[in-house]
Amino acid sequence: MSALAPFANEPLAELRRAPERERLLAALRELDAELPLRVPVWIGDGRREGDAIVSTDPGAPGRVVAVAAAASAAEVDAAVADARAAFPSWAATPAAERAAALLRAAALLRERRARLTALAVRECAKPWDQADADVCEAIDFLEYYARGAVILAERDAAGELLQPPGERNVLVHRPRGVCGVIAPWNFPLAIPLGMTAAALATGNCALLKPAEQAPGCGGELVRALREAGVPAGAVALLPGDGATGAALAAHPQVQTIAFTGSVPVGLEILRAAAEAPARGARHLPRVVAETGGKNCVIVDADADLDDAVPGIIGSAFAYAGQKCSAASRVLVHEAIADALLERLAGAAQVLVVGQAETFGTTVPPVIERDAQERVARYAELAARTGRLVAGGETAVPAEGWFRAPVIAADLPSDSPVLHEEIFGPLLAVERVTGVDEACDRVDALAFALTGGLYCRNPRTVEHVIARSPVGNLYVNRAITGAMVGRQPFGGNRLSGTGTKAGGPDYLLHFTEPQVVTENTVRHGLVV
Amino acid sequence: MDPATLEPRVQAIGRDLAAALPRGGKGPLRALDEKAMDYAAQDAELRAALFRFVDVVPACRSLDDLARHLTAFLDDVGDRPPSIEAAMRMGDSRAGRAALGGAAAVGVRRMAHRFIVGATPADASAVLRALWQSGVGASVDLLGEATVTSAEADRYAARCAEALDALAGVYAGLPARPLLEADGAGPTPRVNLSVKTSALTPLLRPDAPDLGREDAAGRLRPLLRRAHAAGAHLHIDMESFDSIEAVTDLVLTVLAEDEFAAGPSAGVVLQAYLRESPAQLERLLTWTREHQRASPLTVRLVKGAYWDHEVVEAVQHGWKPPVFEVKADSDRNFEALTRRLVEARAGGAPVRIAIASHNLRSVAHAIAANEQAGGGPADLELQVLRGLGDELQAALAATGRRVRTYCPVGDLVAGMAYLVRRLLENTSNESFLHDQATGAPLDELLAAP
Ligand SMILES: Cc1cc2nc3c(=O)[nH]c(=O)nc-3n(C[C@H](O)[C@H](O)[C@H](O)COP(=O)(O)OP(=O)(O)OC[C@H]3O[C@@H](n4cnc5c(N)ncnc54)[C@H](O)[C@@H]3O)c2cc1C
Repeated sequence: MSALAPFANEPLAELRRAPERERLLAALRELDAELPLRVPVWIGDGRREGDAIVSTDPGAPGRVVAVAAAASAAEVDAAVADARAAFPSWAATPAAERAAALLRAAALLRERRARLTALAVRECAKPWDQADADVCEAIDFLEYYARGAVILAERDAAGELLQPPGERNVLVHRPRGVCGVIAPWNFPLAIPLGMTAAALATGNCALLKPAEQAPGCGGELVRALREAGVPAGAVALLPGDGATGAALAAHPQVQTIAFTGSVPVGLEILRAAAEAPARGARHLPRVVAETGGKNCVIVDADADLDDAVPGIIGSAFAYAGQKCSAASRVLVHEAIADALLERLAGAAQVLVVGQAETFGTTVPPVIERDAQERVARYAELAARTGRLVAGGETAVPAEGWFRAPVIAADLPSDSPVLHEEIFGPLLAVERVTGVDEACDRVDALAFALTGGLYCRNPRTVEHVIARSPVGNLYVNRAITGAMVGRQPFGGNRLSGTGTKAGGPDYLLHFTEPQVVTENTVRHGLVV
Repeated sequence: MDPATLEPRVQAIGRDLAAALPRGGKGPLRALDEKAMDYAAQDAELRAALFRFVDVVPACRSLDDLARHLTAFLDDVGDRPPSIEAAMRMGDSRAGRAALGGAAAVGVRRMAHRFIVGATPADASAVLRALWQSGVGASVDLLGEATVTSAEADRYAARCAEALDALAGVYAGLPARPLLEADGAGPTPRVNLSVKTSALTPLLRPDAPDLGREDAAGRLRPLLRRAHAAGAHLHIDMESFDSIEAVTDLVLTVLAEDEFAAGPSAGVVLQAYLRESPAQLERLLTWTREHQRASPLTVRLVKGAYWDHEVVEAVQHGWKPPVFEVKADSDRNFEALTRRLVEARAGGAPVRIAIASHNLRSVAHAIAANEQAGGGPADLELQVLRGLGDELQAALAATGRRVRTYCPVGDLVAGMAYLVRRLLENTSNESFLHDQATGAPLDELLAAP
């Protein structure tokens, strides 16, 4: 490890400088000339192309970004078998060598940064700053988990257990086996790569199923890992839709499922895991799941609205609110509720709703037609049962899955708008008599992913921290944008299995701990 | 211009100015609310507690609330002097809190009044007139909350327009002050308003400067017309590096429009702490040569008020800070830019020069450079901030220099962010005022950076 420099986050692109912006626009033009990308089912050295899955630009649905084959159940079987065959040698590869491969992959991504950023802009309509952060986070995961695996191996070797005379105790963390990675589209690079890198770093073989909306990004990731020297059997690409994911999750020879996505799918995966032994599995599959959120920002009476308004607006509407960490409810002290509502409404009205590729766009189109319709349904419900203080009237481009930002107030306390994950540009604002009422409402939710607090009294801040169930609480800042090594990320309650991506403990979930105790006493003599 | 040959004059002017500083003055930092600042200077935790308190004052709803905040901040301070302990004990009872809150509110208000001349331009008129009488011009800055909506931007623009009218009234009928009313390039306005682009638009986006520039231009043009009609000078302040492209482009494109060729007098700011400021100055100078306007562009040279912000932001994002990281580099660059400015003007560039600094050395250097380049006293405007540069202002006026004082106007709520920034900046131990207040010898204060 001593050879490796300490982990540092990949610097974001300095988009405030014009040449940086021009560089990215040029990369987008180059990428456009290459589209559509062909994404194979890629198992070992076998690549099968196909056109069952097509990703399109959410801002111009006529533009095809990637054309992919969909992995069949038989291909999932084949991939698992291939991974099982490769597992012993990858597992036996020293952690430092595995880490070196991941670091070479990081270097490749760094070289290809502009292209990957452009791809996320096109395939998932991420505005440039968001797409750039996604690529940086992907690189961070490689760098962080590579180091983490080496540290873990060193810790195992150094031994932390008590060693009384006559007894030798050793704790080691061994890889679990085959890991199925089922990834979402909203961080089409960082999240799939994070889960895959964690599995690989700890010596597992990984089968990546990228989101059906983002096979192009998934394909680029596996290509980089292979080119970096991760053996063909250790990582496979299985593009597909829900059926592919279900086949992977239910496979009796998959030991770990790393999943990020919705609660219903997460629950299905957990159910499949529980049933795996009945299907012949000789293990209990480990599920590392990151599911949804219903994230609240509490604004106390002493908050600085000059900070709170931009923080809330950015948390709720950047990337059209399509982040599991996005703000969807604001619980504001009644003393400043009117002022906050007025300023939030005005700030939402000036947000640019437009194409992701246009610098200055905050609210790009949502990912697909279904999403557009879902957000529209919630917005209508909010308008019918409450009051819209912003949105609805803003004109949006006719083509593409656009939704103007909406802010709703005065909703009934049992409104689905306040309890269900919407995953779009809709923010609900509620008045409370104080932070305790706000905490009660947060506590009543099943979700507990992120939360925010704007407040300047340190005693109140402490009090709210103590009452917060969420996995990631942000005080006096935006509630999105967790960074690897700085804000290990993951939710509690229904929001996930409590794992923290980008944190020091994450890798442990991909390992099988084993303790060996050897009696070193022979005939009363310690040998 | 050779800095070495300039140096003897810099020293002589610096000594003259130092001698002209008002005697018995307590220095701007000494004069600050006594005990609080003494404590703040001694102890980093107390300093943090004080600033956090000042910051939250306008958001507190009652004296009780004020006292609760104050004691909560002080709670975080490890080593509390006896008088702070006493304050903490007052926080235990309702009556105690009312008294403590009341005292604290008075203290903060007093502090604020040193830096903020009034709630409105009309309130400020007595101060502005008195300054003029003593031979000191002003640039008024309207404080306000951040602009996050179009309505707020409109309101700010309307306040600026009203201020132009109000200030015309304030300055009407005052006696002539020739040093302030003309320089080698012609007459200069009495009324001078500083505006902030971030207040003129809610759309400043670091990665999309055009968005904010266009939106702000829509509000800046009417203000320029109004200023022209009122014979006023409009100065566009510079803010953080995130907005520098939008602000610079805004000023240079709008002032280049035919409509504004005849006026008003207007200006921009150049921040010497920026590594790229020499290139920015060249861009400004080229622009002045290419765009002949009736009033030459005024360039206000400052060091830059967002140093900590720039460094923290850069470190958090993994960027090289756009600012120098060694104070002397900023000071040296300030002097280099000063020389470049006076030389360019001597060489025919239509530019007016304003040197905004409280640093005796930086100011003395500028005066010497101006002289050397053949400029008269009216050709170099020296600018200070109200409340921080009061003594330097007096010394400059007394020695026959052209001085303008930047006078923030606004209520306490709007002014608190400004107040905190000034307090932070000037209790930083990298600041000239701090060195001066803590008794650094004159030789050291005047030494070349
Ligand atoms: C009339 C007037 C108008 C102003 N308008 C603006 C404006 O529009 N925009 C703006 O940004 N500022 C403006 N300022 C503020 C100015 O930029 C300075 O912050 C302030 O004047 C202090 O500088 P100084 O020369 O007086 O003091 P000094 O003590 O000599 O210098 C302090 C300055 O040095 C720099 N510095 C501090 N530490 C370091 C370091 N470690 N490395 C490098 N540099 C460092 C910082 O810029 C700091 O403000 C204005 C000031 C005045 C007087």
